[in-house]
Amino acid sequence: MGFVGWILRRLAWAAGLLLSVAVLNFSLMHMAPGDIVQTIVGEMGGASEETMAQLTKAYGLDRGFLDQLWIYVSRVAQGDLGYSYYFNRPVLGLILDRVPATVLLVFTALAVAIIAGTFLGVMSARYPASWLGALVTITALFGFSAPVFWSGLMLLLLFASVIPILPASGMYDVAQGATGIAYALDVAHHLVLPALTLAIIYLALYSRLARASMIEVLGSDYVRTARAKGLSENKVVFKHALRNAVLPVVTVAGLQFSAMLAGAVLVETVFTWPGMGQLAFESILRRDNQLILGILLLSAVLVIIGNLLTDLAYRFVDPRIRTDG
Amino acid sequence: MAEERARGPWGEAWSVFGRNYAALVGLGLLALVAAMVLVGPLVYGVDPFEIVGAPKMGPGIEPDAPFGTDYLGRDVLAGLLKGGRPTLIVGICAALITTIIGITIGSLGGFYGGAVDGALGRVTEFFQVLPALLFAMVLITLFTPSLLTVTLAIGVVAWTGMARLTRAEFLRIKQLEFVRAARSIGASNARIIWRVILPNALPPIIVSATLATGTAILFEAGLSFLGLSDPNVMSWGMMIGSNRNYLREAWWAVTFPGVCIFITVLAISLVGDGLNDAFNPKLRTR
Amino acid sequence: MTRRLSIRAALAASAAVLACFASGVFAQAQNTLVWGTSQAPRHLNPAVQSGIATMMPGAQIFASPLRFDDKWNPQPYLAESWSFQDDGLSLLLKLVPNATFHDGRPVTSEDVAFSIMTIKANHPFSSMLAAVDRVDTPDPRIAVIRMKQPHPAILYALSPPLCPILPKHVYGDGIDPKNHPKNNAPVGSGPYKFVEFKPGEHIILEKNPNFFIKGRPHFDRVIFRIFKDSNALLLALERREVHYVPFWSDLASLDALAKKPGLLITDKGGEAIGPINWLAFNTKRKPFDDARVRQAVSFAVDREFITRKLHAGRTKVATGPIAPGSPFYTGAVETYKVNLERANKLLDDAGLRKGANAMRFAAAVDFLPGNNEQQKNVAEYLKAQLKKIGVDLTVRSSPDFPTWAKRVGGHDFDMTMDSVFNWGDPVIGVHRTYLSSNIRQGVIWSNTQSYSNPKVDDLLARAGVERNLDKRKALYGEFQKIVVAEAPIAFINLLPYYQVYDKSLKNLPTTIWGAAAPIDEMRRE
Repeated sequence: MGFVGWILRRLAWAAGLLLSVAVLNFSLMHMAPGDIVQTIVGEMGGASEETMAQLTKAYGLDRGFLDQLWIYVSRVAQGDLGYSYYFNRPVLGLILDRVPATVLLVFTALAVAIIAGTFLGVMSARYPASWLGALVTITALFGFSAPVFWSGLMLLLLFASVIPILPASGMYDVAQGATGIAYALDVAHHLVLPALTLAIIYLALYSRLARASMIEVLGSDYVRTARAKGLSENKVVFKHALRNAVLPVVTVAGLQFSAMLAGAVLVETVFTWPGMGQLAFESILRRDNQLILGILLLSAVLVIIGNLLTDLAYRFVDPRIRTDG
Repeated sequence: MAEERARGPWGEAWSVFGRNYAALVGLGLLALVAAMVLVGPLVYGVDPFEIVGAPKMGPGIEPDAPFGTDYLGRDVLAGLLKGGRPTLIVGICAALITTIIGITIGSLGGFYGGAVDGALGRVTEFFQVLPALLFAMVLITLFTPSLLTVTLAIGVVAWTGMARLTRAEFLRIKQLEFVRAARSIGASNARIIWRVILPNALPPIIVSATLATGTAILFEAGLSFLGLSDPNVMSWGMMIGSNRNYLREAWWAVTFPGVCIFITVLAISLVGDGLNDAFNPKLRTR
Repeated sequence: MTRRLSIRAALAASAAVLACFASGVFAQAQNTLVWGTSQAPRHLNPAVQSGIATMMPGAQIFASPLRFDDKWNPQPYLAESWSFQDDGLSLLLKLVPNATFHDGRPVTSEDVAFSIMTIKANHPFSSMLAAVDRVDTPDPRIAVIRMKQPHPAILYALSPPLCPILPKHVYGDGIDPKNHPKNNAPVGSGPYKFVEFKPGEHIILEKNPNFFIKGRPHFDRVIFRIFKDSNALLLALERREVHYVPFWSDLASLDALAKKPGLLITDKGGEAIGPINWLAFNTKRKPFDDARVRQAVSFAVDREFITRKLHAGRTKVATGPIAPGSPFYTGAVETYKVNLERANKLLDDAGLRKGANAMRFAAAVDFLPGNNEQQKNVAEYLKAQLKKIGVDLTVRSSPDFPTWAKRVGGHDFDMTMDSVFNWGDPVIGVHRTYLSSNIRQGVIWSNTQSYSNPKVDDLLARAGVERNLDKRKALYGEFQKIVVAEAPIAFINLLPYYQVYDKSLKNLPTTIWGAAAPIDEMRRE
């Protein structure tokens, strides 16, 4: 089986996976009590039976379950993610509107966590018996043990109320209507708190990982060789060992999109960050089924791409691994 | 020397664990939490749902409610003592569910390999690509929030890591000499899985299950924060979730349950880390 | 050495950046109003969607024939004058001469006729314009509303939140008005025009320079920012990232807000919306089919505790189905002052004796999700309080609105907390809850109590068409007395609407529609 065949099979499998994600979740949401018509009528402050019947018909909710499922799945197969009856807009547009905010948040948090986590992990491995090592362990455990929304609320109170140097909510100041560099700075300013909150959890994870792999690498032969050549310990650590210690961190980070999205839902709620997580949460409560399905599908696609890239990377690094079983 | 051998690998692990101060601190904290949760409600008989005084009274103001009252005037201390049980039950049961599903799927896949492994791997991947929190929310809205549905939902969305871990351990161990030996004397597959491989795969699974308990508690708190908890059962997560809008006027009603969760999860993590070091000979030698 | 230098440079640079931010926060353009809200609208066309979320921006974008002052008197708006004819069967509206839509086309009686018929066909409040037969347009400035029967509520129905005048040349293109693409980018004739709408995030409006009332409005831009978390909204207000929040819902924080320098709070305005927080019984379910049981529960509720303690003294005790702001309100009804003895006796009389565990019967209470302070907290209070009269109450929580609506609309409940709005005239917001003809399976905010009393049906039918104000008041007075006594609903509390605003803001909308009416006079000094 050649490389092309492998890729093709992976893609076919990915399509099957997405199909089952769509079918399962469509069925689950269909079974949930109430539907989007109830939500809309609720926001209207009530409506007559006729109006409700009219809406139900307009949204195709009067059809049988299998009928609805078939219509939805065949549309998705053609690349149409459907329509949000709540917002009266196509699902794809709504999601694409929100994706940048979530991606920005998650990737900034990841970058902060990877860089700071690796640094802390490496330093504590470099000076194993020092207070730094203890500090890393403690920070890591604290970051991991505190509920993320909780640390978010605390940071919010601290930096937006007690010492008000950071904005409390949103992604940018609409009232200023800044553009260009001013806009970018404004977004960066708003990003600090949510990204920091989200980074805290992963900081914990990555500093532990980096520490463990660094200890491993520092004991290996080629590091001993480097030391024997008379290189300074700093050079050994940062020039030679670091690269190898970072690898597992990046690998783990790449595989964690779904966990990150979970954190993002909570952080976006605390900071009114206009991202996909918040949209998803609200859509579930509103029974805006096509929108929630669209978000789940898109997340699945991103995870699948992440997995595929990881597999691909391993395949090239170590051709013996046959990940497709 | 003889003593070392008599204790076996488990005993040896325990002795390493016993020399790990952080782990011992964790164990101590855990004992403290357990005592508070098990004995507390017996000693302090106030009903956590009863309105005992004015709402949002600070801690120490009223002797009847030493930890203050919440937004309804209910005793926060009573909530903390009574609310620990459901929180821990959700955490432990959800972790048990993830462990059982994870071990079953992982061991079968790892042991049989081939088509079985392929099929189970696909099931695992299916659950892995779904965003856990959102999927749990879908499940909970479907059945309305209660302790049972929350526990089941967490269990159902969180087992993939355990399955992959178990599978990897099985793949590794089934190559080892004593497994081949067992096979050669005609042991059945079931026996090899349960009596030969599994006991040897247990250490990392135990570590991972311990940590999963902490994760499940945090998960439950997150769901409560989003309003998906059972209002008829006092739990720490429910206390945070329902008091969070009053954070600025009654910080104690949010902070104390938050601290309880924090300490519990911290203790669990410390114990988990200690177990990991104890079971992992590589780190031990260093 | 070099590294230390570069660190220092980096620190200096970041300090400079921070300074820029800090100054940027306070450098907001003076003529922009940032309006904070926790209500996210689906779209911006109030002709086909009720609810405060859509009404607030809708009333700025669209103008209506009439508006109201703070004493329930109609005032001219797009109609400079109006008069009833044919014994109240016709209402003649004369439009102002200079009104134009934001796209420059004039507002004519054709648009008025089109809008009224569109609202009649699509608006969720079907009783509002049910009596309207057609609208005649003898002249571009004259519209005559023809009715099948006298309909005194018609004047309220022409208010800003209920009767936006849509441009026929935009919305009359045959597309279903409920799903019209222009609902997301509306064209009206109100004081502010539409610029941008990001669902769930913000709405940007700008000044309509050709507004038909000269010299208004006063802001260059009005920005609605939508907040999902009340802590975040509070902080944004404290820091003046937001200047104005009407319909403030988080009562517990009002005391703290009142102490903040530069912030003011008023409870004026919005009386016509008239929300009542109440506990409804399913009168078809045992034991709530017995009026004595319902009365007992009502007597067990300490409304003073709820309003003073749970709501920090910011709400008022409710006494009946019509909110006290209304001209049709009467206070001459049974007040259900808390009386556990009487409650216990009523339950004894109803044959519900205390069992071994001191409990008489078990029941469940639902609550409308979304506003914890008014709903969930009161339900939890009931659980604790009703224990005292031997009712073993379970709080049945709904994670979201559809779950609750499904249960209550489907009559699958014992009792439920609910919050229902008067919407100006009783015909619009009150009748629906008590008419036996409005007992409908699956319809939320219909008569889900299954309450049925022919006397009440008759009183409401007569009050709906009565043109004499005093006679109408008497009919509604009688109605209130019966409904409160029979207690299909235990009325709990009223929710005054608070507006929180920066002290530089003047001329807040304090009419009966509050901020669901145009803010064309509001300005900053």
